[in-house]
Amino acid sequence: MILKPRLQDLKIIGFYLGKIILGLALTMTIPIIIGLIAGEVNPALDFIIGLVVSVILGYSLTILCYTEKDMSWMQGMIVVSLSWIIAMLLAAIPMYLSWHWKSYLDACFDAMSGLATTGLVLVQNLDHISYAHNFWRHFIMFIGGQGIVIVALSFFVKGLSGAFRMYVGEGRDEKILPNVIHTARFIWMVSITYLILGTLALGFVGIWEGMKPVNAFFHGACNFMAAFDTGGFTPQSQNILYYHSLLYEIVTVSIMILGALNFRLHYQVWTGNRKEIIKNIETVTLFTTIMVTFCIVATGLTQVGIYPNALALFRKGFYQLISGHTGTGFQTLYDQQFFTDWNHLAVVGVIIAMGLGGAVCSTTGAIKMLRIGVIFTALCEDIKRIIMPEKAIVVKKFHHIKEVFLEDKLARSALMITLCYIVLYFLGAVAGSLYGYPFLQSLFESTSAAANVGLSCGVTGVNMPDGLKLVYIFQMWAGRLEFLSIFTLIGFFYAAIKGRK
Amino acid sequence: MRINLPVSITLGIITEIAYTLLIMLAAFVICLALTWTL
Repeated sequence: MILKPRLQDLKIIGFYLGKIILGLALTMTIPIIIGLIAGEVNPALDFIIGLVVSVILGYSLTILCYTEKDMSWMQGMIVVSLSWIIAMLLAAIPMYLSWHWKSYLDACFDAMSGLATTGLVLVQNLDHISYAHNFWRHFIMFIGGQGIVIVALSFFVKGLSGAFRMYVGEGRDEKILPNVIHTARFIWMVSITYLILGTLALGFVGIWEGMKPVNAFFHGACNFMAAFDTGGFTPQSQNILYYHSLLYEIVTVSIMILGALNFRLHYQVWTGNRKEIIKNIETVTLFTTIMVTFCIVATGLTQVGIYPNALALFRKGFYQLISGHTGTGFQTLYDQQFFTDWNHLAVVGVIIAMGLGGAVCSTTGAIKMLRIGVIFTALCEDIKRIIMPEKAIVVKKFHHIKEVFLEDKLARSALMITLCYIVLYFLGAVAGSLYGYPFLQSLFESTSAAANVGLSCGVTGVNMPDGLKLVYIFQMWAGRLEFLSIFTLIGFFYAAIKGRK
Repeated sequence: MRINLPVSITLGIITEIAYTLLIMLAAFVICLALTWTL
């Protein structure tokens, strides 16, 4: 029997939603400061308007829905799924006010693309956008990569036992430290440490390549946030192609892979357990799938003969592959080149890589390495059972921080989520085909949106039908939250309509 | 055993960067192999 939600449920959801919105409002102060420093008064005003709207909404919710009760699992999941939608609507306000987006829907598309660390863009005249707005595009990517709830947990929602429920709802089911608040703070520590190192590295490479120091470090910070949080926005419309630099590409590849690693693995490696990086099922699976998918892409590209030497093949083929596999979306190609210069084999290799993704509890989207590793191990176990004598007992384990017994429920759960992702990829492809795009191009773009990648073959653009924009926004949202909180939200609405009092 | 955190973090970062370089090296070897053979 499904029960109709009570007023108390709505109050708890509203109260914690209000707290998260206040957390987001505070992040808008940074682009205001940047705008004022850069002498950009109008852009700063756009963010002040966004900040005021967010504060009014956040405070109203916390006052109207004030409660001291803690969240249930259901309430935590709903808070998470709604907070991402509201964050998109609020983050889009200053973007829309800049007039660099054709409509509020386009601004919402880019806001969700940023928050979900996808990287598909509808922004216009990007090369002449203000520093404040350009920073904001990358900063929401950083916030989204960490997880909106992580931001709130770290600074604004102290001492909640229900915090873990929101943390799980955001698609992170691994606690690094016993306390979820400490976990959130460790995630920030890793990100800030790499932010400093990555910005310096990219900044110096930029100067080496002839950029002015201020621009080099601004681009360095923006590109680091987009690479580590596997987002894919860049400050220039030509994406990474703008820099024409092998060194820049090598540094960004390194950052993309670091962003695709599990934060729990970072903790182990940083606290002395360095061998974990060669033993962990996720790093082993990541290495294997990168090599397998790259062999597919490289074979396809060699057949076409477009890149005559190893370095060109590496810079074009491997760069797009690793960008797709880690879910970043940086490109050193123009969008259309995927289908004008590459053959279908190479494109399919990139689509498979995009669909796989990085590690769980990282900033990437898609199916993720732990699930692929678990499914493969379970498959090997089943084959062994068939081959070995009937009385033989097969005990299968895998290494993920510690030795873990492979139970049926673990394999089933991995298969379920994998199936959900594959259905999501194909639903988007069917939607694209219904709007008249070729199926393979639709599948490429749909996988890119649902797996939060951001590589584009040219389907995404301002002239794309509004219906398809909404489909991709849904895919980015559902792909980022890994379905559980979305299903809970659907169940909540169903209970509100059909449930008993 | 007490851990010297700054040293441990530095070594951890070096280990992680080495892992990323290993992936790039392996990919480059594939590029060399394919451009020579095909």
